[in-house]
Amino acid sequence: MQIDEQLVEQIVRIVSEQLKENAGKNIEERKADTSNLNHPLAAKGTNPKEVVIGVGPAFQTEIKSTINGLDLDEVIKTIKAGIEEEGMVPRVVKVLKTSDVGFMGLEAAKLSGSGIGIGLQSKGTAVIHQKDLYPLSNLELFPQAPLMTLEKYRAIGKNAAKYVKGEKVSPIEGENDPMVRAKYQVKAALMHIKETELVDPSRPMIEWTEVQ
Amino acid sequence: MKLIAGVDIGNSTTEVCISQIDSEGKMRFLSSSSRATTGTKGTVANTAGIIDALGNAMEKIKKPVNELSLIRINEAAPVIGDTAMETITETIITESSMIGHNPSTPAGAGQAAGMTIYLEHLSEGREETPYIVVAGSGTSYDEIAKTINQHAKRLFIVGLILQADEGVLVENRLDRKLPIVDEVKRIHDIPEWKEAAIEVALAGQTIRMLSNPYGIATLLKLNAEETRAVTPIAKSLIGKRSAVVIKTPHGNVKENILPAGEIRIHAKEDCIVSIDAGADKIMEVLAGAGEVQDISGQKNTNIGNMLEKIRSGMGELTKEQAGEIKITDILAVDTLAPVMIAGSLAGETCMEKAVGVAAMVKTKQLPMEKIAEELKKQLHIYVKVAGVEAVMAALGALTTPGTKLPLAILDLGGGSTDAAIIHEDGNVAITHKAGAGELVSMLIQTELGLSSRYIAEEIKKYPLAKIESLYHMRLESGAIHFFDEPVEPKYFGNVVLLKPDDMIILEDDIPMEKIVFVRKEAKKKVFVKNAIRALTEVAPEHNLRRIDHVVLVGGSAEDFEVPEMLMEEFANYKIVCGRGNIRASEGPRNAVATGLVLSYIGAGNDHK
Repeated sequence: MQIDEQLVEQIVRIVSEQLKENAGKNIEERKADTSNLNHPLAAKGTNPKEVVIGVGPAFQTEIKSTINGLDLDEVIKTIKAGIEEEGMVPRVVKVLKTSDVGFMGLEAAKLSGSGIGIGLQSKGTAVIHQKDLYPLSNLELFPQAPLMTLEKYRAIGKNAAKYVKGEKVSPIEGENDPMVRAKYQVKAALMHIKETELVDPSRPMIEWTEVQ
Repeated sequence: MKLIAGVDIGNSTTEVCISQIDSEGKMRFLSSSSRATTGTKGTVANTAGIIDALGNAMEKIKKPVNELSLIRINEAAPVIGDTAMETITETIITESSMIGHNPSTPAGAGQAAGMTIYLEHLSEGREETPYIVVAGSGTSYDEIAKTINQHAKRLFIVGLILQADEGVLVENRLDRKLPIVDEVKRIHDIPEWKEAAIEVALAGQTIRMLSNPYGIATLLKLNAEETRAVTPIAKSLIGKRSAVVIKTPHGNVKENILPAGEIRIHAKEDCIVSIDAGADKIMEVLAGAGEVQDISGQKNTNIGNMLEKIRSGMGELTKEQAGEIKITDILAVDTLAPVMIAGSLAGETCMEKAVGVAAMVKTKQLPMEKIAEELKKQLHIYVKVAGVEAVMAALGALTTPGTKLPLAILDLGGGSTDAAIIHEDGNVAITHKAGAGELVSMLIQTELGLSSRYIAEEIKKYPLAKIESLYHMRLESGAIHFFDEPVEPKYFGNVVLLKPDDMIILEDDIPMEKIVFVRKEAKKKVFVKNAIRALTEVAPEHNLRRIDHVVLVGGSAEDFEVPEMLMEEFANYKIVCGRGNIRASEGPRNAVATGLVLSYIGAGNDHK
């Protein structure tokens, strides 16, 4: 696809100016936020009904909503509801060792009592993973975060629970918009950079009992 | 020494057998080959496939095709089969009087009776009445739970009906557990302020109160007259995991019998039989009718239209007037088709009675002579149309080790089931019966409610397995099989068809056990029934016990379970039955081609 380089440059300039304006405020917020440190390291689950959702380092702290404006509190609540309705048990951990969605999903799956986990970046990209798979392989991947809706997050939770039960899973209808890349590339890059800055290998994964 | 070739043009494959005859007249088989038939069987378009197959076979013995001195092709049986299906019952729910379905995740358990009330109207409820609350998907699960918990202090709430798939979510948030029926799509059609009964079965069980007329009578306090009236509702709820029955003045479940019509069999004496009588009765009348000239259906009825459809379809294929096409045999099979119930609230389906019919049409002789001429022109080799297909198949089948005369063969094809028997004196009797592989596919498709015939065909051909993890699968026999390499994640949790070098995921969500059951039943209904019908006709004095050996040939003989089914059935008649092994090397294939070559010796040197 052809992207107008000038246009991209222009957008980057505007966005970074915006960021500079807000810079002072941001640092203040981050200083105030020590919540990642207040949580215990995540333990391996033993409940065979458990589905672990591994969220990104900036989830609900530095980033409050997904790339297309869905409130992260709502997103996590919806995924948990999807898992609960199928009779399985959700648990949320925050992955600090990486910000790559594939690895986040795999790490969550390895902690999960059932071996099924969900990786969820703060910008909204999600993956359903299984502990025995290669990081870049997965059960289901939802790569286009800007096209996600709460219904889809609900279905992700439901499908993950169905994988635990060994039931037949109907694939979630995917949408594809070739313009998404052009429209959201800069925002996606900035959100991902923000998340990656918070990676802390010394505390690989922490229990994440919802930040309200 | 000369080389002769036998060529069998089948509906799907063209098969060739090459043999050498020395100066003393002794025969030795040299090679054989098989490839897909080009064009419709019996048309000149077949020639290309024949030449290619001959080339392949000759290449195996490293000789050019023009060294052949004779090609013998079969005289194809002029029968073509087709299938049709109609439902003959229809279920209707009136006045939205019941819900009975199997939501994937029901919640709570138990039964109760109360008055229906919408969630928004709970504040209007009176203290002394028990209520069943109805909530649409506009309200979220936590709000529903909160509202009910609030009102439960004042009101007596006994059950809950939800539109969304949120039964478990609401239940987990309730102070007191209730039976909850969820996934009711047309929730706003539920009448408010009516007496209703609700029941959710315990895990692994089905409902017990509402599927019993006296159970409904107990919960809704019905008198004897009313109890008689609700019997159809109770019957339609058998086997469900959750249900609601609402007391409305004229609410009920009705099963209408559609006017399915009559079949008229034109034989020595015309016989008439109604479709409603069921497949067994139809087949009985047909068997008693003797030699059949034509079969027709009552005009403007389901069966009339079905047979007309078959007749006109066949007319198009053979380019004959529909009026000239004579249906000479049918096979009727009772079946069930899942149909959406009219007036249902939760999208319930009901297994309606249906009749599947395979019909066989005799056409004029297929123009095999034309194919022979065309071959002659292209290859400059003498080509002879030699012998009827079924007879040749019987001759070929005789090369199976362990057989002896009298020998019967069963050719299980796509459109028809053919039988032939060779007696010690060389007499041959043959018959063609309607109904074979295609009817089986149609039955599988209807009973499982599959969207495509292709998947039904695949289900017919291959065994099933469920991929339980990335490392192992459970075969339909119950055995566990571990993979050498982990499978791709897309297979996880799916029911698959085990093709020799591939696994096909079945998209329809149907339990493996059910598919296996339907597949086996369909094969029994068609193949076993037809095998007996066809063999009885050719057997001496129509007595099956006078047959000793039955060799199965043709495509369906390669099926992974049909030969075993037939073997079991024929063991009752002390008949040796099994898959053919032509020339001890070819399996059930190549019988006709081999027979064509063999018949050359018997026929003498009929060419110069």
